[in-house]
Amino acid sequence: MYKWFLAWRYLHTKLIALFGVASVTLCVAMVLVVLSVMGGFLDTVRNRSRGLHSEIVMDGGSMQGFPYYQEFEDYTRKHLPDVVRTVTPSIWTYGLFRAPALQRTGPTRVLGIKLDEYVKVNTFGDGLHYEKYFPGTTTLGLQQMPVAGLAADKSVVLPPDLAEANERWRENETDPKLIERFDRDPFKTTPYPDPASVSEGERQFAMRLGPPGYEGPKRNGIILGCDLINYRRRDGNFDRTLARGADIILTLMPLSPIGNPTGEPPAKVLLRYADDSRTGIYEIDSMSAYVDFDLLQSVLAMDAQQRVDGSFTKPRINQLLFGLQKGVDMNVAKERISRAWVDFLTNEVPSDLTSSEITALANVHVYTWEDMQRDFIQAVEKEKVLVTILFSLISVVAVVLVGCIFYMIVEKKTKDIGILKAVGASGRGVAGLFITYAAAVGICGSILGIVIGCLFVWNINDIQDWLAWVNPNLRVWSPDIYSFDKIPEVVKQADALWIATAAIISSMIGSLIPAYAAARVWPVKALRYE
Amino acid sequence: MGRGRLKVLRGASLSVKAGEFVVIMGASGSGKSTLLHLLGALDTPDRGEIEFRGRSLFEQPSSVRNDYRNHEVGFVFQFYHLLPELNVLENVAIPRLVSHGFFGWRSAKRTSFADARELLDRVGLAERAKHRPSELSGGEMQRVAIARALLNRPALLLADEPTGNLDARIGAEILALLREFNRAGQTVVMVTHDAGVAEQADRRVRLADGVIQADSRDRPHVRSGGPVKKEVIP
Repeated sequence: MYKWFLAWRYLHTKLIALFGVASVTLCVAMVLVVLSVMGGFLDTVRNRSRGLHSEIVMDGGSMQGFPYYQEFEDYTRKHLPDVVRTVTPSIWTYGLFRAPALQRTGPTRVLGIKLDEYVKVNTFGDGLHYEKYFPGTTTLGLQQMPVAGLAADKSVVLPPDLAEANERWRENETDPKLIERFDRDPFKTTPYPDPASVSEGERQFAMRLGPPGYEGPKRNGIILGCDLINYRRRDGNFDRTLARGADIILTLMPLSPIGNPTGEPPAKVLLRYADDSRTGIYEIDSMSAYVDFDLLQSVLAMDAQQRVDGSFTKPRINQLLFGLQKGVDMNVAKERISRAWVDFLTNEVPSDLTSSEITALANVHVYTWEDMQRDFIQAVEKEKVLVTILFSLISVVAVVLVGCIFYMIVEKKTKDIGILKAVGASGRGVAGLFITYAAAVGICGSILGIVIGCLFVWNINDIQDWLAWVNPNLRVWSPDIYSFDKIPEVVKQADALWIATAAIISSMIGSLIPAYAAARVWPVKALRYE
Repeated sequence: MGRGRLKVLRGASLSVKAGEFVVIMGASGSGKSTLLHLLGALDTPDRGEIEFRGRSLFEQPSSVRNDYRNHEVGFVFQFYHLLPELNVLENVAIPRLVSHGFFGWRSAKRTSFADARELLDRVGLAERAKHRPSELSGGEMQRVAIARALLNRPALLLADEPTGNLDARIGAEILALLREFNRAGQTVVMVTHDAGVAEQADRRVRLADGVIQADSRDRPHVRSGGPVKKEVIP
């Protein structure tokens, strides 16, 4: 016990120990910040990935899709009511997207969804922009362009149903700051019929001089990824340059049941920009467009098509999305749905299938949302592990530094070691004193490091904003690249605990050689001269 | 020492009885400090034995010698050798503190501090208990060193030139203190090169060239009808 007594006394009387404490502090803080930011990044990716998909996805594995999905939907409702809460089909393909008003053309991944069912199996609905402020107005069905107009008092107003929806949002919104921000800039208007304005604004509507209303031919709506249609500024906010309801053209390529292009010219579909979606993952928000399921199935010739013999092909989809009952384990559900699919194929599907149908059905697999995002999440996980290892290796410097400092301390404390041995302390006891001293350095350094690390992480976005204010080139976290507005600001207790433990153990390891040297000090030599 | 071997002691034999005040004298380099260190098991002899109460110290494990230094021996050095980061009270208490582990630490600390205060009172430094060694004079530091050496009531107090770094007046005070403890029954073995200091002892042992040349215990005083001739060992 005298070791702790002396170690504590040495700790706050010897200046040299402060260098050891400082090095441990800096290393602990550094590793904690890195782990917290990367861990927060991974958690954000995982949570957002979770929201992207349904809990269980049945995927056909190819663009031409698989048939008999309606029958299997009914089958699961009948045989798995304890597992399946809701099920909805979806189709995906690739095509060209064009916004004539912006003169922008680019590739896009197109999903055909039943919007009212789709929002029940994941958190897609939470990321819709106009739906948030005008709830219940976003649809993929036929629609005209909403146009703002002038009221009797010459104020600019929206069509009555949009104004009512906005009122409903105000009544239910719990964050007064959000309402205040909305009122500062409720919407920007742009001249119709060619909304080519590039002015900023959270919400863009076309405008006319008459009363508000709807104009133009009815077309199906399309929801676009927010990074596909809007320009993201470096501060993470968007410049919306396209009015709601503006024309969008998709060019798509239908495939036959065996996956060949049908030979028809690519299908051009005229749509209206209904809303934009923000999942928080740039790779998705910059490439995705969502259209009505029935429309896409028809355009891609995946609906029932008449054969030359007069019979009809079975309609096809690419994915069946399952929302589970509360409390159901995902992997258990995956197992049961997989077994149900095999039973369905064995007992319910007719035996006279075409070869393409047999192939398509055989390629159907059932995945959890984690399976679907595994590659993406694993990439981020590996990134986190790599960065943590690299910074932890740098912390080896702290071990060496503590070793050097303690070697110097032992040199300076040779006389004290001689005195302790003269009064009966053993060599092992003296070694233990310096290891205890190092542990005390590690404990103090860890506590300070955790405090500094936590303060840094909790204020990291403010620090970055300040740095960017001093010099814009110092903005190291760019929302336009990373897709997340903010750097993660959460410190996990478990992370802080293991980092501190590792730091204390490392300090003790660093002191082993000096402690051994101290144990071997010959007291006579140490006490011989003043 | 250095790159060669230097014989310091060349077969010195010494026995000390309980309660004696023995002074080991000799010129510089005669081996007197080495002999003292061997008596205190601070050093290891190349040949020969050190026995304490009939037991050989160097045929035992090192833990026995650590225990011997802690309980049976108290050292007083020429340069005091106090721990600079501890105050006076803690310096005196340290011999008891190093021998206690986690269990019993609190009571050991309590009793060692109580005993330390008592000893500081006896050496006249009770009011300096909270001072650091850097705030004391040489004489005061040596008193603290004596108190520390006596905390565990050792069988043997070994003093290596305790007055060597002090002026004559202070040195005399320290010697008087040692005499006082010796009269109370403490066995003292002291090393000095000062003949005047040696006069204070009951027994004087002269060391030269690594061997004991003379031991006053072996040379009786001669009485005759005439004046007593006191043999003085120069």
